[in-house]
Amino acid sequence: MGLENTREKVAKWAFVLVPLAALVELAAHATQVQSAATDADWAAARAAAQPLIHPDDLVVFAPRWTDPIGRASFGDALTGVAREASADETRFPRAIEVSTRGAHAPELASWRKADEKRAGPFTITTLENPSYARTLDDLVAHLGEGRAQAALIDGSGGVTPCPWSDGGGAQSGGLGFGPAVPNAKFGCRAVFAGVTVLTDLEYRSRRCIFAPPPGGPAALRITFKDVAFGQVLHGHHGLYVEAERGKEGTPVYLAFSAREKRIAKIAHVDGDGWKGFELPTGDLAGQTADLVAEITSGSNNRRLYCFEAITR
Amino acid sequence: MSDDTPATPENDEAEAAARPEEPSKSAGAEEPAEAEVKEPAAAPAPKSGATSGADPKPGAPAKAAAFELGTLLDFPAAIGWRDHAVGGLLALAYVAWLVATARSLGFPRDEGFYFHAASDYARWFDLLLKHPADAMQKGAIDGPWSQNHEHPALMKSLFGLSWMFLHQRLGLFSDASTAFRLPGMAMGGLSLWVTYLFGARAFSRPAGLVAAALLGLMPRVFFHAHLACFDVPIMTMWLVSVYVYWRATQEPTLGFVVAAGVTYGLALETKHNAWILPAVFVAHAVVVQGRSASRHLRAGRVQVPATLLSVAILGPLVFVALWPWLWSDTGSRIQEYMAFHLNHEYYNIEYLGKNYFGPPSPPSYAPVLVLATVPAITILLFSIGAADRLKVISARLVAWLRPSSGAASAAAGPDARARDRAETDVLLFLSFAAPLAVFFLPKTPIFGGTKHWFPAYPFLAIFAGRGFDMVARAARARLAGWDPPRLRLVPIALGAVIVLAPLAETIHSHPFGLSAYTPLVGGTAGGADLGLNRQFWGFTTESVAPFLATAPRGSSVFIHDTAWDSWARMQAEGRIRSDLRPVGSPSDAAYALVHHELHMQEVDCGIWMAYGTVAPAYVLRHDGVPIVSVYRRP
Repeated sequence: MGLENTREKVAKWAFVLVPLAALVELAAHATQVQSAATDADWAAARAAAQPLIHPDDLVVFAPRWTDPIGRASFGDALTGVAREASADETRFPRAIEVSTRGAHAPELASWRKADEKRAGPFTITTLENPSYARTLDDLVAHLGEGRAQAALIDGSGGVTPCPWSDGGGAQSGGLGFGPAVPNAKFGCRAVFAGVTVLTDLEYRSRRCIFAPPPGGPAALRITFKDVAFGQVLHGHHGLYVEAERGKEGTPVYLAFSAREKRIAKIAHVDGDGWKGFELPTGDLAGQTADLVAEITSGSNNRRLYCFEAITR
Repeated sequence: MSDDTPATPENDEAEAAARPEEPSKSAGAEEPAEAEVKEPAAAPAPKSGATSGADPKPGAPAKAAAFELGTLLDFPAAIGWRDHAVGGLLALAYVAWLVATARSLGFPRDEGFYFHAASDYARWFDLLLKHPADAMQKGAIDGPWSQNHEHPALMKSLFGLSWMFLHQRLGLFSDASTAFRLPGMAMGGLSLWVTYLFGARAFSRPAGLVAAALLGLMPRVFFHAHLACFDVPIMTMWLVSVYVYWRATQEPTLGFVVAAGVTYGLALETKHNAWILPAVFVAHAVVVQGRSASRHLRAGRVQVPATLLSVAILGPLVFVALWPWLWSDTGSRIQEYMAFHLNHEYYNIEYLGKNYFGPPSPPSYAPVLVLATVPAITILLFSIGAADRLKVISARLVAWLRPSSGAASAAAGPDARARDRAETDVLLFLSFAAPLAVFFLPKTPIFGGTKHWFPAYPFLAIFAGRGFDMVARAARARLAGWDPPRLRLVPIALGAVIVLAPLAETIHSHPFGLSAYTPLVGGTAGGADLGLNRQFWGFTTESVAPFLATAPRGSSVFIHDTAWDSWARMQAEGRIRSDLRPVGSPSDAAYALVHHELHMQEVDCGIWMAYGTVAPAYVLRHDGVPIVSVYRRP
C-alpha cells in the first residue's frame, strides 16, 4: 500500500522532470560554451611547455582536433613537419603531450609518465618512451643531392639517371590532388623521388619519400649513399588515401638491397594503409654501406606511393 | 472509379459533454463564418480529473483539451483564420529572424551554383514577360534551363524571380543574395505555419505552437533555412503535401483532392526526396481503406482513393509543367534526371572518427546524428508524445485483431475506430519514418549531414508538441488547487522553459550551424571529440574575412572548398575584400584556407609542403574547435 502511494506520488510529479531536463540542457549549454580554451590559455600552455621540449622530443596535442590551434599557438619551432608528420612515435625518446578535456594521445598510452603540470585548462605531460631505440640513419634525411641517387630502370635493364633539382617549395592543390610534389627531388620523365607529407589511409600525416613506381617491368631505383646500418631497417610505406581506399590498384613492391645482396622485398596492397616493416640487417650492423631501394608495380595508375625507413 | 469516402471523425462524446457550449464540428473543418460560431466566453477551466485521463482525439477539432491557451485568447474551438494568423505570425517572425542574420552567413558551394542558375532562369522569365513567343522557342528554353538541371526548377525559379523583382527592380534588398535566399527563408517560415496548423488540428493549439517553435529552434534547420537551397523547401513541401493529403482524407472534397495532387507536384518540383512520399500515402491508404478495398476487390472492383489518383496524375503533370527543361525530350530528360540521383557521386563524411565515402550508411548514423543535433528537450518531448501515440495505435491494433478483447478495446478508447478514420497517428508516424528509413537501406551512403532527413523533423516536432500537451496536462492536474489565472499561466511558463535551451543553442550556433552539436554530446567540442562532421560546402570562408582584411592589397587566396561563384558573390556584396584574388592551388597563393574536415587533412599537408610551415597564421574557432585555418606564405 505504502509503495503504491509512493508510486502514485512519483507519477503525479513526474512531469517536473521535463522542465527540469530543459533547464539542465540550458545549463549544460551555458557551461560548454564557456569552457572553450582562449588564446590566453593557449599562450599559457606554450609558456609552460616550451622549457620542457627538447629538440628530439615528440610534441602532440590531444584531443587531435586541437592540433591546428596547437600548431598556430606553438609555432614551427616547437612543432614542425618532423613532429607533426612523424612516421611513428617509436623514434622519439620522449613526448610532450599538451592535452585538454581529459583527452590523451592513444599512441602514447603505454609510455611512462615522467612529469605533469597544469596550465589553465591544459595538462602538460612529459612521457618517456619505454622501448626507445636510437636511430642511426634516416633515409628521409638522406634523400638529397650527394647523399643519394635515383634512376629509372627500364624493362630491359637500361638505366636512366634521374638528376636532382631543387626549385624550393612544392606543388600542391585541393582535395584529390594527392601529396604535394616537392620541387626538391630526383626526376626523370614521369618518375621522381622527393620528400613530401602523405595523408595515409587513416588521414594521418606522414613524412616520407614520395616515389611513385613507373609501372610495368620498369623500376625506380634509389641509392642511399653511406648508410649507417644497425640491427634492423625499420620503416613504413603506404599510398595516398584516395589512391588506395578503393582497393583497386596494383600492389607496390619495395625491394631493399645492400652490397649486392637482397635484404628483403615487401609488398604494399591497397587497404594496407600506413604499413610498418622491420627488416633484419644484423650482418651489416656497425657498418656503412650504400642501400638500394627499388620500387615497382604492375601499373603506375594512381600509385601515389611513399615510404620511409630508419636504421637502428 | 473512386470510392474515397472516409468518414469525418465525430466528436468525442465525453469531451463534448464536458464542454457543452462548443459547437459540434467535424475534425479539422475550417472555422465557419464568425456569426455561426457560438464561442464560449472564457470557458471555465476543466476539473483536473475530467481531463487528465482523457485520450485526445487525433484529427479531432482542436479543442483546448487540457488547458485553454485558446480560451485565453478567445479562440473558438474550430481551427480557423485566427490560427492562420498565429501560423502566419510565426512564419513572419521566423523569416524576419532569418533575414536579420543572413548577412553573417557565408555562401555554401551549392548556393553559388543555384545563384548562377537562378539568374539565368530569371532572364528567361524576363524574356517570357517581354517576348512570350521568343521565350517559348526550344533554343531559348534549353539555354537557361539546361543550367543545373540535376535539380527541379521550382525553388531556383523563385530564387531568380525574387532576385529580379526584389533586388534588381525594386531594390528592396541591397544584397542580391538575400533576395535569392528569401524564397528558401519563406519556405522555412511556411514550415512553422503548417506545423502549427497540423499540430493544432491533430492534438491541440498548444501542441501546434510548441511543435512549430521546436521545429524552428533546431539549429540545423535554422542554418539551412537561410539558404537558397532545397533542403528546407523540401521539408516544407513534404509537410504541406502530407497535410493537404490528410485534409483530403478527412474531407474528400474536390478542392482538397485536387490540392493534394498539386501540392505533391510542387514537392516533386522541389527536390527528389518527394519520390518517397507516395510510399507514405499508399501505406496510409492501405491502413485507412484496406478492408474496404479488399471487399471491393473480392467483388471484382478496384477501389483507389481519389486522393491517391490525384497524387498519381496531377503530381507528375505539375512536375513537368513547371520545369521548362522537361518540355522537350521529356522522357529521356526525366531519365537523365533520375539517373543523376540514382548514380550520385559519393561524398566524404566523418562519422565517429571514420571517413565514410560510399554505401552503406552505418545504421546508427541517422539516430546518432538526430540525438547530436536536435535539442535534447525536443527529443524528450518527442519520446513522450510518440510513445503515447504508439500506445494508442497498438491498443487499436490489438482491438482490431481481437475484437472480443475487452481490455484492448477499453485501452483503445470508446469507439476508437470511429474517432479518427483518417488514421492521423499512422500518417504522422509514416511521414516521420519514411525520410529516415532510407538511411537504413544497404545501398544508401552517407550523402552529407542531417539535411537529407529534414522532412522527418516537422513530424518529430508535432509528436513533441503532443508530448508537451501531456506534460502540461499533468502539471495542470497536479496544480489544480491554484486559482484559475495562475493555473492558466502554467502551460505558458512550461512552454517558455522548454524553448529556452533550443533558443539558446540555435542563437549560439549561428553562423556555424553545421559545426554545432547539442549539449547532449558536449556541444561543438563534444561533436569534435566524437569525430562528427565539422562542416561541408566551404561556407565558413566569410567568417575569416576580418583576418583576410589584413592581407596586402591584391593578395592571392587559395579558397579551398568555397565555390568560385560563392566567393564572387561574397566579394560583390562586400563581405570579402574585392581586391583579393581567388586561386585554385596553395602553390599559387599568398594565403591558403583549409576548411577543417577529416578528409581535408591532405590540404593541410600540401600547404605545409608548399609554404614550409605547419603553423597557420589564424585559426577560426567555434567554442574552441577549429573551423578554418588560414596560412600565410612566409
